[in-house]
Amino acid sequence: MLKRTIYIGNPSYLRLKQHQLVVACTNTKEPKGTVPIEDMALLVLDHPQITLSTQLINRLMGNTVAIVHCDNHHLPSGLMLPMAGHSQLTERWRHQLAASIPLKKQLWKQTITAKITNQKELLAKYQQPTEAMNVYLQKLVSGDETNMEGKAANHYWKYILTDFQRERFGEAPNNFLNFGYAVLRSIVARALVSSGLLPAMGIFHKNKYNPYCLADDIMEPYRPFVDLLVLEYITLHPTEEELTQQAKAHLLTIATQDVLIDAKKRPLLVAVTTTTASLYKCFTGERRTILYPLMV
Amino acid sequence: MSEQRYNAYRVMWILVLFDLPTETKAERKAASTFRKRLIADGFVMFQFSIYMRHCPSRENSKVHVKRVKSSLPKYGKVCVFEITDKQFEMMEIFHGRKEIPKPQPVQQLELFYFLFSIKCKNHL
Repeated sequence: MLKRTIYIGNPSYLRLKQHQLVVACTNTKEPKGTVPIEDMALLVLDHPQITLSTQLINRLMGNTVAIVHCDNHHLPSGLMLPMAGHSQLTERWRHQLAASIPLKKQLWKQTITAKITNQKELLAKYQQPTEAMNVYLQKLVSGDETNMEGKAANHYWKYILTDFQRERFGEAPNNFLNFGYAVLRSIVARALVSSGLLPAMGIFHKNKYNPYCLADDIMEPYRPFVDLLVLEYITLHPTEEELTQQAKAHLLTIATQDVLIDAKKRPLLVAVTTTTASLYKCFTGERRTILYPLMV
Repeated sequence: MSEQRYNAYRVMWILVLFDLPTETKAERKAASTFRKRLIADGFVMFQFSIYMRHCPSRENSKVHVKRVKSSLPKYGKVCVFEITDKQFEMMEIFHGRKEIPKPQPVQQLELFYFLFSIKCKNHL
């Protein structure tokens, strides 16, 4: 089911009333709107003057709603997820933790294949050279030992944006990309938790300071969808450098972007859960391939 | 394009209309329990004794119809029906003879910027 993304961008008081999220004015406590919690997927909090009740947080966690906090630069800085998003939690963790190294390497190869394929599709969409990408796809080996991901990324960024340096804290459109990726990461982490997987144990990423290694692995093939949204936005607003509310509203539509998964057209939010469910089946040995999206 | 896709998921609205007896204390209690359960399930009041709920798909609307059926009071008349988002959109509402805007369709992405939106802009 396609669930809802709620973005709060001004001072408000959020509380629970009869299983509904009530958004109220900070001063008057007058309700401005209600949302059924079971229909929600993401709650994005982007203002310092937002108050939440503990009851509400508890109920959000009970319904696997990811709470995303944004910092002073309006970039997502924190993500809150439930401890148990799935009833068979420990069994699923056991399968995940017992995954063999060859399996993880195979899964990583599939992930990078999907990522490079989507990057290639996007380059083709913008009439840029794609031949090199085919070469990288052919040279891809188990575990991506030859680092074709990096080589493909180099080619991709060179052609997709002119005069651009992809950096973590760089100039626009880096800020747009960062916002989009952060939202995508929350969506993926939420889907992993709801499939009963441990987002900290990645198949490739293993930075000891990163609590979302697996989310970072699984989101790779989804990144080009964010890139597409950013490209669309900067084509429409070429002079804009700031991450405005309008820009964020555009980027938050990532959840409803159409993707092709398992030969079906689905919104991205639904596709991510398909991917995480197939990943779990790979860990148990029921499947050999993860289902990843394709550009439409 | 995405918005169309969201509609292609066959967005539905459920309407619940009821006339419940409120003669005795027990009947009033049953009526208010029924109403509260509707609210807890995400229904909002449209008119007195008419509640409605937005459902993103047909499968989802079936779930909520089932829930309404499971909380029916012993006495009184209740009518439950579903309409598509398209039919909902064609609704006309009047206050007196003046036409008033219909409820906003529910979006997948909802942005709450009701107050201080100018202040927010400056802040950015």
